[in-house]
Amino acid sequence: MSSAIAIRLHEVRKRFGATEAVRGISMEVARGSVCGFLGPNGAGKSTTIRMIMSIILPDAGHIEVLGATALDAKDRIGYLPEERGLYRKMRVAEFLRYMARLKGVPSRDIDHRIATWLERLELPGVSRKRCMELSKGMQQKVQLIASVVHEPELLILDEPFSGLDPVNARVLTRAIDGLRAAGTTILFSTHQMRTAEDLCDRVVLIHRGEKLLDETLEGIRRRFDPRTLLAEPMEDASAARAALRHLPDVTDCAWSDADRALQLRLDEAADPHGAMQQVLQAVPMRRVELRRTTLDEVFVRLVGGDQQVLAAQEVAGD
Amino acid sequence: MTDSLSPRRIMLVAWREFRHTAFTKGFILGTIVLPVVLAALFPLLGGLLKSTPTPLTGTIAVVDASGRFASALEQSLQAEVKDEGPDAKDPFSEPVAVQAKVEAIADASRTDALRSELAAEGLTALVLVHADPESPAELLVPSSSRPRHTQRLERALRDAVVRLRAQDAKQDYDHLLTLMDAPRIRASRVSRDGAEARESIALRMLVPVGFMALLWIAVFSSANYLLTSTIEEKSSRVMEVLLSAVSPMELLAGKMLGQAAVSAVVLVMYGSVALAGLGAMAMMDVVPLAHLLWVVAWFPIAYLMVAAVMAGIGSAVNDLHEAQSLVAPAMIALVLPLALWLPISENPNGAVAVAFSFIPPASPFVNVLRITTASDPVPLWQVLLALGVSMASVVAMIWAGARVFRVGVLMQGKTPTPRELLRWLRSR
Repeated sequence: MSSAIAIRLHEVRKRFGATEAVRGISMEVARGSVCGFLGPNGAGKSTTIRMIMSIILPDAGHIEVLGATALDAKDRIGYLPEERGLYRKMRVAEFLRYMARLKGVPSRDIDHRIATWLERLELPGVSRKRCMELSKGMQQKVQLIASVVHEPELLILDEPFSGLDPVNARVLTRAIDGLRAAGTTILFSTHQMRTAEDLCDRVVLIHRGEKLLDETLEGIRRRFDPRTLLAEPMEDASAARAALRHLPDVTDCAWSDADRALQLRLDEAADPHGAMQQVLQAVPMRRVELRRTTLDEVFVRLVGGDQQVLAAQEVAGD
Repeated sequence: MTDSLSPRRIMLVAWREFRHTAFTKGFILGTIVLPVVLAALFPLLGGLLKSTPTPLTGTIAVVDASGRFASALEQSLQAEVKDEGPDAKDPFSEPVAVQAKVEAIADASRTDALRSELAAEGLTALVLVHADPESPAELLVPSSSRPRHTQRLERALRDAVVRLRAQDAKQDYDHLLTLMDAPRIRASRVSRDGAEARESIALRMLVPVGFMALLWIAVFSSANYLLTSTIEEKSSRVMEVLLSAVSPMELLAGKMLGQAAVSAVVLVMYGSVALAGLGAMAMMDVVPLAHLLWVVAWFPIAYLMVAAVMAGIGSAVNDLHEAQSLVAPAMIALVLPLALWLPISENPNGAVAVAFSFIPPASPFVNVLRITTASDPVPLWQVLLALGVSMASVVAMIWAGARVFRVGVLMQGKTPTPRELLRWLRSR
């Protein structure tokens, strides 16, 4: 029986000792969509994903994956765990063949699929190498191949971009785009908002085991109304700043090197279009624009009050 | 929610486990090549080790005022050769040939000069004959004297003293020797079909211990592989990748099955060599077919008990060092049969033997030892009850091992305490 929903969680809870890692999360991931599963470190993303995969079982609630449980649908699901690893002494092709057989790929197709994926992920000539001979980035790509070699209907990627350099991250992004185009449902966790913004149709944000946000990107942009104007004055920026900071709707005005413009933070009740008019009337401007809300801003707004979380993000180098 | 068990996935895991254990150089050398080479070398071993000692040459000076001792010593040196033959003490060595001449010295004042000559290695030995009946002769040899030459001279001197006593008593010493010579008794076993085979008491005692040791080695070598491979999968973080493709129970079942095959290879290889050795010595009748079948029957029970424990431990720890703290208590219980082999062998139907027949994980090993040792058959009810208890124990140990495995494989960090392990047993 084929449903429009690939993953359905209802009031799922999981406790480890005194810590309640997941607190009643409900969510749905539509077939063929790309869903970003966001949250700071320790938010409960990996625990939720492990429960979706039936690697651990929830204490309460219900999980449905491809119309069944993940155990029943294992051969139709691809999974790249956060804790990545390979058999160090195994050769790459041997490892991938082993994983493909476990996933039920017909023997006659295995070598062709492995060769295709090695080429697609720019890993030429590694099939005879032992896994321990590969660089970390190459190992990560091999692990991705292990999760997609059986052409899964649903692909779950836990922090797929962590530890990848920009070049390899781009290769991975292309691969995910290709899988999306082929109709694969993709759920991936990350705390790299930019990546999520580039790839996702929908975003679920959790924090401390609770869902804070579950919406499409467009919905998020509408919901989190922009409150920042970028204004590039024709002449002296200091004088412009002094004039603009006293406008009634502006709560803060500062120069941004990155934007090469003044950043004007607006009052919560302000009308952005009216504020733009006021700016143009106050000082001659080369440009005035309403800055687009980023997921970063949404993230910080939703979980940013937690200083510990921010500190953890900094330590993690995000 | 219950774990699905796919035979296809279990067999794939089992085959990988077997292949990556049994197709390694270390395993092939240790388990296949070494036993074959040993079996081939065994008949040649005697010939290779056999040595011909250097003959005893030079001059043996005997300071004896009576002049009788030198002659008696010469006779003893020649006569004693037969007592040192291959049947006597050392099966790998020929007797020491004596080509030395014995020189009688009547003048005791030459003793110091002879000592100096001996120290300079001009003499092979110097014998000083005393009147004291408690110490009738003293042997002096140079520091370079070979131990076997000294031993040969000591025995000849003792023989010469007794020879002279016999002469003093007007007795024919050689005749007395003939009378006193205790003949060897050849013991043979006659099998039901009338065939005769030479009896060896020591070997008959060792064969049951061999059965138990064989079972122990086969079980423990593969259970140890299971422990290390589980730890390796955890420490290399490949475990969660595997769990995306197989359930924990499929993984555990596959790993245990693969290592069971490894264990069976060890059992067959070393068992075949042992049987070939017994066959070469015409002692196959000490291994009745029924005993072999009992070993085969107890093997899976012994393996599953030990493997369940090792898999549980392997899943609970992060490295081999941590494993030692959990393996140690388990090992105490598991080496018990080896420690108790002597009392059980001597009294296979005694209280100790009967009690330990029912206590896992010692029970399979103790039962094999009892069954193969006992002259009187072990009561059938005891064997069947022990089998039943052991099989129930296997189910319980696999259940507990699987519970720990299921939780432990995903755990990283500190080694679990016994209380945490108990919590894992109760977890969903």
